[in-house]
Amino acid sequence: MDATLVDMGAHDRQSDKDADFSAYMSARQTALYRTAYLLAGDHAGAEDLLQVAFAKLYLAWDRIRDREALDGYVRRIMVNENNSLWRRAWKRREHSTDTMPETGAVDTYDEGTGGALWSFVQTLPPKQRSVVVLRYYEQLSEAEIADVLGISVGTVKSQASRALAALRARAPHSLNPHESGDDAR
Amino acid sequence: MSPTPLEDQVHDALHRTADPVQRAPFTVTDVRTRARRIQRRRAAVAGAAVAAVLAVAIPVGAGMVGPSPRSDVPPATEPPAPRITGTVRIDPRTAPVGGELAVPLINVDDQTLTIGGETIDLPRRYDQLTPYADGWVGITFVDPQDEGATGVEVLGPDFEVRDAVAPSSHLAVSADGSRLAWAEHDGRRWTVVARDRDGAREERRTPLPPGPQDARVRPVGFLPGDAVLVGTTDPVTGRESALVVGPDGTTSPLPDSLVVGSSSEVTGLVSVQTRFTGDGSCWQVRDAGAGGAEVWRTCDYSLLGFSPDGRYVLGFIDYLTPDGSPTLAVLDAATGERSLDFELVGARTGVVGINQEVAWEDDDTLVATLVTGDRQYVVRLGLDGTVERVGGDAVDVQPGDRALMFAAPSVLQR
Repeated sequence: MDATLVDMGAHDRQSDKDADFSAYMSARQTALYRTAYLLAGDHAGAEDLLQVAFAKLYLAWDRIRDREALDGYVRRIMVNENNSLWRRAWKRREHSTDTMPETGAVDTYDEGTGGALWSFVQTLPPKQRSVVVLRYYEQLSEAEIADVLGISVGTVKSQASRALAALRARAPHSLNPHESGDDAR
Repeated sequence: MSPTPLEDQVHDALHRTADPVQRAPFTVTDVRTRARRIQRRRAAVAGAAVAAVLAVAIPVGAGMVGPSPRSDVPPATEPPAPRITGTVRIDPRTAPVGGELAVPLINVDDQTLTIGGETIDLPRRYDQLTPYADGWVGITFVDPQDEGATGVEVLGPDFEVRDAVAPSSHLAVSADGSRLAWAEHDGRRWTVVARDRDGAREERRTPLPPGPQDARVRPVGFLPGDAVLVGTTDPVTGRESALVVGPDGTTSPLPDSLVVGSSSEVTGLVSVQTRFTGDGSCWQVRDAGAGGAEVWRTCDYSLLGFSPDGRYVLGFIDYLTPDGSPTLAVLDAATGERSLDFELVGARTGVVGINQEVAWEDDDTLVATLVTGDRQYVVRLGLDGTVERVGGDAVDVQPGDRALMFAAPSVLQR
């Protein structure tokens, strides 16, 4: 009888965990998928990143006390996974092609500048790209990015600066600071 | 970081790319299935070891911490270290405290170096340090706030800078610390620099063909005959190839790899990653002395870190992430046969990891940093199955972070 009660208790706890986790996934999956897509650059990679992150979150669910920190936990796992040496090697190998990566929505009102910029963002080294996505898409502060990436705030700044410099160098002339008014600021 | 038009445009471009994406591809069942795969993978190596041992009817003390019972088979004439079979569980919280670390340890957070039981404040942040002449050679960040570019510094006994070159790779240090190598870029080409620790011989410089800085070159380790194994990265494909730099300045490529792992300066064996399968990787041990001929291969482990005598190579989980590896296998370097497995307590249920940047203290002992929960520990693992906690108190770390790292690890993937 005792064993049955214990089993029922464990079953209830598992049900509670799944219900809580399911509620979190339902609320946040679409938004976090977008971040995964920007980090990975394609849907196959994004699905893999997000699924791994959710799976690791599921495994750690009972140990995470601060539910407000869940998004940050998922972002950290996705960034770490995406930057992992083995995965990078795989992606480079799989994607070493002359064709451009997947592009997002076609820009009509800015003559394709946005699409071009997205293509260039995809060519940035993983850490720079992570900083760009977290800063300009997730709009995290430098301190928050440093926390997610496990690096110093100074490194966040320098990585962002390098990324922007690389984008300026590669992007169309319309983004050149001499033509876009950066110098005037 | 006030917005500029370019920053605004990046912001807009990312939102226009991502905002229309309306995907929620997973159910909780999908995620649970993936979680079970991760758990199985974490347990797979240890489980396979237990199964193998049970198959030959040697009892294994599952669940115990420390060495499993020793085999009844008497030792052969040739010392068959490691001398136990089975899985050794690592629980740093309950492991006995061992003697002082034989290798220097850097605490990144405190900016200190611990060596011989003494802790020294470092004047600046170093990512690597190894004794050289009457002082040190260190790898530092060109911009202290920027972990992207590194430089090499020759230091006096009090860490005063005597010479500095940047940009440079990290250091490769021979097993006994008597030789060290790095690569430096002069704006036109990478040059591989090898020196003796005691400064007895002039440094050996091997310039490589002209190439950009991002065609990264890094010494991985040493090979017999004073040769250096170097990894060279193709900046277009990102693939890292192995190159043997001979003492006479000759270079011999060992083609077809994705990542260069480790080398043995005794046997001339090298480990390279050859495939990534999406949720795992495949590795080969090759013989650098035979033009890189394959010796054996595996898709069960990431092969990093030959023992100083070349007899063993370490097998970390095949899908290695910054979390580290929940298991560590000691494999016969010549055959790939598994000799001993370590498994971190909690590996089957939680995110715990042994950092792959381990250091061998001698032929039969290695030290590793590991994270379990929010604490980072240093442990000494003997090939006789002993587990000790060393290096002082554990430190608090955030998930994915580490504060403690060996100053000159035997395995370096930076």
